[in-house]
Amino acid sequence: MGGKVSCTLGEVKNRADFIVYWGGNPAECHPRHFTKYTLTQKGKFIPNGRKDRTMVLVDIRETPSAKAADIFLQVRPSKDFEVITTLRALIKGQPVARDMVAETGLTLDQLQDLAERMKRARFGVLFFGMGLSMTRGKHMNSAAILTLAAELNAFTKFVAMPMRGHGNVTGGDVIMRWTTGYPFGVNLARGYPRFNPGEFSTVDLLIRGDCDAALIVGADPGATMPQPAIDHLARIPTIVLDPKLTHTSRLARVHITTAVTGISAPGTVYRMDEIPLPLRPALKSPYPTDEEVLRRIHMAVAARSRPAPPVVWPGPVAV
Amino acid sequence: MAAMRFIMNAGRTSKQGQQINVGKDNPEYDAIVSTLTFHPDDLKTLGVTAGMTVRVRSEYGGVADFRCQEGKVPRGMIFVPYGPPTCRLMGTTTDGTGMPTSKNWEVEVEPVDA
Repeated sequence: MGGKVSCTLGEVKNRADFIVYWGGNPAECHPRHFTKYTLTQKGKFIPNGRKDRTMVLVDIRETPSAKAADIFLQVRPSKDFEVITTLRALIKGQPVARDMVAETGLTLDQLQDLAERMKRARFGVLFFGMGLSMTRGKHMNSAAILTLAAELNAFTKFVAMPMRGHGNVTGGDVIMRWTTGYPFGVNLARGYPRFNPGEFSTVDLLIRGDCDAALIVGADPGATMPQPAIDHLARIPTIVLDPKLTHTSRLARVHITTAVTGISAPGTVYRMDEIPLPLRPALKSPYPTDEEVLRRIHMAVAARSRPAPPVVWPGPVAV
Repeated sequence: MAAMRFIMNAGRTSKQGQQINVGKDNPEYDAIVSTLTFHPDDLKTLGVTAGMTVRVRSEYGGVADFRCQEGKVPRGMIFVPYGPPTCRLMGTTTDGTGMPTSKNWEVEVEPVDA
């Protein structure tokens, strides 16, 4: 099954009475999520706010988010796929072996209780974080939880939403999607978009050493990517646009300081539910915006490029 | 003390998020991303105390040194905020997804200055 059953955070605020956070720690990583959208807000159909909502946290350790949860389920590392698959079976009334469930760190009773609560909810949401998408199983874990949400719609209204981070990563995906048809890992070298994660995605390109220059805008791969990728960035001409000096700046040939988007630069940011929000700067910055710098680089490159020779067909023929 | 095996779980913390807005180019940020959190019993078994240094070797061949602290993690698991030291431990294959395995590595931990 493909696709994603989703909604806006406004609908979550106004309707959701059953919230599951899976493999995420919103208390530390999305500190306004509880108070703005999911737990404490009173909504149109949730008149009593927190009292009308049930929150479940599924994670491999007891993070600060557990304090906010009604139910905390501590799953063994890398057993999320098994737990999700078990839940899919339970909501359909399929038999599940108790001893096999025990391998996940949870009991069959706990999962039966969760499955029943999910089916009884009026409007349920599954928020999933990097604890699912960056561990063993990766996209298969994400696909499993999206499928679970879709299948729960046979009983009630249920949606799933990834807990996106780092400001505007959702914007990057959304813009790539409507300009090229793909969200990331897009190669435009042939003049048309080709999508192949694992081949054209940034980490893979850098580790294989396929690219001979890099332009990094508002990201810090020098502090987040595997070391061989960082080593390649240090070998090739790397240009960084960032409001602050980062680990990538240290290994780059050029660092251009830019204004902070949302504080001293205008723009549009996409919320994790893919709603675009306009930003108005509150302060002035002595630095140019990312957009200004990119525009000027583009103009300078265009001015230096010679126009391609006209294509003549058929070419001169020797007689 | 011989090396012990752990599941290494990397993630983010609010303290780290605050420090990113101050700037990564300072010793406080380096201290945050170089501190491993252990279950108190695991720390005892390893023969080290909070503040001491341990060396971590990942299943992918990377090596990095960290300072230890006690905290709320299950036995057999260690937690560290993402940063340059975790980059040295991360795997290099993405399994065709574009995303390296960035959580739950099997690692070997040994005391450095015990």
